[in-house]
Amino acid sequence: MQEQVILRSAIEKGDFARGGEASSNLKEILRKLGVRSDINRRTTIVTYEMEMNIIIHSLGGEITVYIASDHIKVVAEDKGPGIEDLQLAFQPGYSTADDRVREMGFGAGMGLNNIQYYSDDLHVETGKGQSTKFTAIIYLESPSKEPNS
Amino acid sequence: MKKHSVLLKEELCEGCTNCVKNCPTKAIRVHNGKATIRDELCIDCAECIRICAYHAKYSQTAVLADLQSYRYPIVLIPPSFYGQFKGFHPLQIKQAFRQLGFKAVYDVALAAEALSQKTSEFLQQHPGTYISSSCPVVVRLIQVLYPELTGHLIPFKSPADALAEKVRQEKINSGVPPEDIGIFFITPCPGKNTSVFNPIGIDQSSINQAISVSLAYQAVLEVMNDIQDFALVSEPIPYLGIGWGQVGGEARLLQEQFRKSTLTVSGIHRVKAVLDELSRNNIKGVRYCELAACDYGCVGGVFNVVNPFQASINLRSLRTQGNQMVTQDDVYYNFELTREIESLQLGRLDDNLEIAMEKLAQLEQEIEILPGLDCAACGAPDCKTLAEDIVNGLASRTDCMFFLRKQVVDLADKMSALVHEMPPVMKQRKKG
Repeated sequence: MQEQVILRSAIEKGDFARGGEASSNLKEILRKLGVRSDINRRTTIVTYEMEMNIIIHSLGGEITVYIASDHIKVVAEDKGPGIEDLQLAFQPGYSTADDRVREMGFGAGMGLNNIQYYSDDLHVETGKGQSTKFTAIIYLESPSKEPNS
Repeated sequence: MKKHSVLLKEELCEGCTNCVKNCPTKAIRVHNGKATIRDELCIDCAECIRICAYHAKYSQTAVLADLQSYRYPIVLIPPSFYGQFKGFHPLQIKQAFRQLGFKAVYDVALAAEALSQKTSEFLQQHPGTYISSSCPVVVRLIQVLYPELTGHLIPFKSPADALAEKVRQEKINSGVPPEDIGIFFITPCPGKNTSVFNPIGIDQSSINQAISVSLAYQAVLEVMNDIQDFALVSEPIPYLGIGWGQVGGEARLLQEQFRKSTLTVSGIHRVKAVLDELSRNNIKGVRYCELAACDYGCVGGVFNVVNPFQASINLRSLRTQGNQMVTQDDVYYNFELTREIESLQLGRLDDNLEIAMEKLAQLEQEIEILPGLDCAACGAPDCKTLAEDIVNGLASRTDCMFFLRKQVVDLADKMSALVHEMPPVMKQRKKG
């Protein structure tokens, strides 16, 4: 089966009230499609982090999730302002989130590390003043990352 | 084989759908005016028993007369049971059980203290966030709705099961014939009753039967006045373990005695909310989550007699009487599970991904057609669930009153239009 869209969700800048909605809907969809629960969890975490990144750091964007016979693809594309130093952004604990966001419990600087850890394959296109596009692949038969398995 | 403890008195069920809407796993549907439970989704949380105004939902356990079936009946008292009494010493309560015919009386709280120690050692060796497995309803909730988190459950037996196993072995070693031994657990909830005949993570429970707190409470009160102080057997009381009977007791032990960071949540709907967050990795800096399906923990179980507020106060005053765990250096509990806690992968539309995709598209269409009012008059908890039942061939669109009404209105419109249509010959006659 070729890649087919299973979820498309517009995410608005600063919309904390709806934060997590896309990933929650995705979890339900993957469950109905019979995707292994640990793979479902990995996809949900990746999508949740991407969703929150768009809400916190970008000018708004969109998340699209595809499924094919052997993998799931999560694409998050925003309208800027772009990541200046990608290497720095991937450093654990690094964050550009402001105090208000940190007080809400976000912006701990682990988001990108989480995305990387739970994806099998991650591709980022960005640059200062540009839009940012994350593409994560998770294979349906990838080994579990849960304890006791 | 019997799988659950929650039952229905059909003659009392009005088909009102209150239980349907309040069920945390959406396991209930009203069919032919009666609430039916889907076995594979029921976790024995007793929410339906709590909410049913007609007392149609109920649960049954063994009774005290069942002691007669064994020559050597033994009772295991859960920590929460002590919360039912004010002004009676735990030793008096234990003596009351002996008076009722039990040959031996044990505190589950002892095994609870040992399990805290064991859990602390486990956390030392395993990094990450773990979830207490002492509430069987929470474990079943995870199996059914959060299968991705089963690996995060503490992989140990419940204190009652470990204690029962140890006690049985001790009695056999001391010469009691195995067939004479009957181990009874006083249960605060249907959930723990279910674990006796349908255990989790072990092949068979060492507990023979469970008796509800409400039955045990009445029996204990009846013999209480006959108990003489000199008859009391002096033994150490596991006060800290008794703290497990109310929510926070487990976490407090781990935090105070073993300095582990913990989180405590009770009430099934709040437990679901915290599991949602744990599932998307959104709770950090916690090693141990104490989750209890009942509000206030085991003192909130439906079999209790005293309200959970009073029971919590009673337990708290007991707990303050001890500040260290009972020394149990000569005892050994086997907490190891004999099989893994299975993660049930329920809710898929089809085993084949492509067919599941087709059904998902159908499901979205059905959701579009239905009104989205979640009135539950169709017998399902909400429109989305009805849509799922329709796609799975378990319900039909006309189960929806609004859809049915729309069909009738359309039909009536058509009929009234047809009424004004006359055959040509009749039109003529009318004119004449």
